[in-house]
Amino acid sequence: MFGKGVSSELLADFALPVAAEQSQRWILSAMARHGQDLVTMLWRILGNDQDVCDAYQSTFLQLAHYQSRCKPEHVKAYIFRTASNAAITILRRRIAEKNRLSQTIGIPQSVDSPEKQLDSKLLVETLRCCMAQLPDHLRDVIMLRDLAELSYAQIGPMLGITPATARVYRCKAIQLLAVWMGKERD
Amino acid sequence: MTMRIISRFKGPGADTSSNTVPNKCKRIRTWLYKAVNSQLGIEADWVQKHIAQCPRCTRRLAAVGRVGLALAAVKAQPHKNDLLMRANTQAISVLKHSLRQAPKADELKKRLPQPRLLERWGKYGRSAANLAACAVILLLMKVGVFSSMGRFQSEGEKGVEQYYASRIGQDLANEVFRA
Repeated sequence: MFGKGVSSELLADFALPVAAEQSQRWILSAMARHGQDLVTMLWRILGNDQDVCDAYQSTFLQLAHYQSRCKPEHVKAYIFRTASNAAITILRRRIAEKNRLSQTIGIPQSVDSPEKQLDSKLLVETLRCCMAQLPDHLRDVIMLRDLAELSYAQIGPMLGITPATARVYRCKAIQLLAVWMGKERD
Repeated sequence: MTMRIISRFKGPGADTSSNTVPNKCKRIRTWLYKAVNSQLGIEADWVQKHIAQCPRCTRRLAAVGRVGLALAAVKAQPHKNDLLMRANTQAISVLKHSLRQAPKADELKKRLPQPRLLERWGKYGRSAANLAACAVILLLMKVGVFSSMGRFQSEGEKGVEQYYASRIGQDLANEVFRA
């Protein structure tokens, strides 16, 4: 009798993780479905292979541990927002390190020659620096719209705003970026 | 003014049934958008003239253009072909054992970026357009040739009938041709 009780308990203990494991197969499906777009977005935000892999890993790790291993209602929205946040954290850290290093070594940060002004690499780096400083609500929109190339109709529900609001936020983000990038250049 | 534009757009005796209202709204919206854009958009003459004369606006416009350029440069930078594979491998390595051992995981670890549907079908676009053009030409030729042949045949028959009618008489010709 006691033996039976123990065995049934063991069975229940064993069955629960198995069920959870079975149910977590959706993570692989999500990876298969959205992985490519996610890598593209992360690459555009970070521009570095290892950072992209780290942000990608962090995204799926967070997805796997989302609210006691449950599936989020909107997986795509969750993945893209988490990835965007992870990428920005990495980007900010990188910028801070770069600033610290340049202060230590004494590398001048100003851009003077016209060749440098037209250098696309420098332009992209400046954009990334400025994007990292944007307020969250504006940054989310510009990342999803311009870097993940999602439509406003997709972005709206993802961020819990209307497509029209997303459009307005993007416009504000562009204006801010224009001002900041102008200052960086000066 | 908007009401005047809308009433002019609708015109007298316009159908106001519920089915046509959304279509009209859409058309009006498009029309208004175009009208507003042509008057107040960046392409409007007076805006262009002002920008050319105002250094502050020129600077602002250049700054916005610079952001656009930077975004385009970001999009234009391609990543390595195996980046997706590496990212998947790294992400799968921290998942549970059962997920790591799943057949789908192995597939994901070897996955390369696939071109999008439009890109995939884009290369066939030209061929498809050529094929469609050929099909249309053939169809037109077929319809044209057969209809011409039918016309020639009926006109020929009429000519022969008239010839026989003049030679052997209408009654006999009718018997021969309408039997």
